[in-house]
Amino acid sequence: MVVRQYNEEMSYLEKTSAFSWKIKKGFQPNMNVEGVFYVNQHLEKLMLDELRNACRPGMIGGFLPGVKQIANVAALPGIVGRSVGLPDVHSGYGFAIGNMAAFDMSDPTSVVSPGGVGFDINCGVRLLRTNLTEKDVLPVKEQLAQSMFDHIPVGVGSKGIIPMNARDLEEALEMGMDWSLREGYVWAEDKEHCEEYGRMLNADPSKVSMRAKKRGLPQLGTLGAGNHYAEIQVVDEIYDKWAASKMGIESKGQICVMIHSGSRGFGHQVATDALVEMEKAMKRDKIETNDRQLACARINSVEGQNYLKSMAAAANFAWVNRSSMTFLSRQAFAKQFNMTPDDLDMHVIYDVSHNIAKVEEHMVDGKLKTLLVHRKGSTRAFPPHHPLIPVDYQLTGQPVLIGGTMGTCSYVLTGTETGMKETFGSTCHGAGRALSRAKSRRNLDYTQVLQKLESQGISIRVASPKLVMEEAPESYKNVTDVVDTCDAVGISKKAIKLRPIAVIKG
Amino acid sequence: MFKSKLTALEYHTIEGFNPEDDKQFRALVIWLEEQKIRHYKVEDRDPLRDLESDKWPIVFNSYCAQLSCPITSGKKAERLEWLLSHAIRLEYSDNIDKFSTQTSTEVLKNRQNTPKVVSSNPLDNLDFESEDFKKGVNSLAKLLQITPHPDHLITLRAISKLISQRLTAEAIKDVDSVVPKGKAYPFDTVDDGFEKGNKAVNSASKILRLLYLHDLRSLQTKINESIVAVQNLTANPKTDTSLGKVGR
Repeated sequence: MVVRQYNEEMSYLEKTSAFSWKIKKGFQPNMNVEGVFYVNQHLEKLMLDELRNACRPGMIGGFLPGVKQIANVAALPGIVGRSVGLPDVHSGYGFAIGNMAAFDMSDPTSVVSPGGVGFDINCGVRLLRTNLTEKDVLPVKEQLAQSMFDHIPVGVGSKGIIPMNARDLEEALEMGMDWSLREGYVWAEDKEHCEEYGRMLNADPSKVSMRAKKRGLPQLGTLGAGNHYAEIQVVDEIYDKWAASKMGIESKGQICVMIHSGSRGFGHQVATDALVEMEKAMKRDKIETNDRQLACARINSVEGQNYLKSMAAAANFAWVNRSSMTFLSRQAFAKQFNMTPDDLDMHVIYDVSHNIAKVEEHMVDGKLKTLLVHRKGSTRAFPPHHPLIPVDYQLTGQPVLIGGTMGTCSYVLTGTETGMKETFGSTCHGAGRALSRAKSRRNLDYTQVLQKLESQGISIRVASPKLVMEEAPESYKNVTDVVDTCDAVGISKKAIKLRPIAVIKG
Repeated sequence: MFKSKLTALEYHTIEGFNPEDDKQFRALVIWLEEQKIRHYKVEDRDPLRDLESDKWPIVFNSYCAQLSCPITSGKKAERLEWLLSHAIRLEYSDNIDKFSTQTSTEVLKNRQNTPKVVSSNPLDNLDFESEDFKKGVNSLAKLLQITPHPDHLITLRAISKLISQRLTAEAIKDVDSVVPKGKAYPFDTVDDGFEKGNKAVNSASKILRLLYLHDLRSLQTKINESIVAVQNLTANPKTDTSLGKVGR
């Protein structure tokens, strides 16, 4: 790593507009393309402070600051366009979380990197609507929260209540949401309103280690821990009436259910296995990166293909997982209100994944190119009329679901043409961490966090209360800042704001 | 090739017959000999019957010579042509009486004797191009508030679509089932991203897009219906709460 003073570092960064910064070549060695990140005033301060801290003498080890990570990604072979940092960017393993990067499939040296997807493969958010209003739910809020908590197993080491054997798992890994459909856990319309129709077709369960399958089997249909949650939310604000009505959101006060979860231990194991395999491939193919954590392999190498196939299986796992929890949430609501989920109009508005790598077609310098797009902590946001988004959203653009943190607001945005041009159809994914987990544990007290939620009128059910401060709103960037920045830059457009009234957490 | 002659002889495989294929060629020759020409005695036909034999071409040559086939060039197709004609000649001379009555006037007469279907549907006897008809279509369009197209048949199609979708007995009984619900698309104000510089072209492009989406929606609905139909056979969702475990 280059060691320079903060002032010297800053000479490589240039503010190009009110909300965007350019990272010039030379900021990190061997950059093939420039970097860019989008921030508003508050987020800019967080971003630059992080860099300044890293420049202090004696700051070695730990995660690199987000800007450095964006620049290191720009130095990977085969990258095209720019290495993009979304407003919620913060440092992660190899790639920053909130970093998207696209690699040219026609370039034989192009790479795929598990660090560019993350450990929780196909972590994502699903939003269900209901025809209930806040008035209907408030009197039974506690019961409903408890009922959700009873139905959806949460926490580290939780086990699902949908019986599955090893063969079911194999099928689910290959079929994704089609498995849930076949078994009758979800509705046909759910598939329609899901990114990639809930199934990565290149999934190959035979490329997944036994260990990953063993870890994954009992966890299917569980929420997990960390920042994952299921929330009962109320529509708080509608910015785009037309888009909202296309999503079945007619008025403020309407009740929705948000499920934020991923591929649990299964995805983690797939990523770990791939990292080990790729280290060897890097030596063999003489791939040099600026950071050891940026382990990668050529896309068309055996290791690269193995990873893409097993990653697709993990993505399918996550969709089955969210589908199972959709089923359980519908059951919980149906029992509480003595009505069928159908009568409650509990349709899936959309399901996005924010940790995934996918082959997509984009325009690069006026030419159509096939790219492998890595989105880590970044959500796909395709514009209106894009052929890969559902027919219902052809006129509005793809719904982008931005989950806040426990107790803060969530947003629904829509994809735009600008986003397609600037960020390969990508936008932010959530609030983005501001304090590390350890720091949050040191600085905050869990009883206070719980009390604060209670005073906001939010019911909370949590499996491990002593860890809630890791996920307290104070540990995160302000999601409203993040979303407003995306809206201001134009890479996606605000449609709906949601606020939680009940949280189920690991 | 040889289609009409083979048809006249009522050969079994006419479509796709290929004289260059040895197997097909030899099969046809032995069929002609056995069914039509009958030059050899039954027991003498054996060498010709042995289709796989290497000597078959020699046998065939002597067969042609015995029939006094004038074609000696050895071209297969030409010899076959002659053989087929020979077979037809033999067929004709066997049944002179039957064939000689089949003159063109006779055939025509027979054809006229077949009963003709007279349509009882008055619509079939309409002159679709008459002024009267055009006027009728246009006034019907006016009544139904459909903009007439210069081609009255297209207008008629539009009328038919409207009537069969919106004015059926069921549709009139339950209007909600056919009238689309939800808010109308703000057609004029929404910028679709393409500006052709001509308002009419823009509107037309937008309308085409909407029509395409309409088709896509009905396709997706059919897909969903198919999935549901399959689900009726396969779905059996189960839960077992005893398996569940809430972590820490």
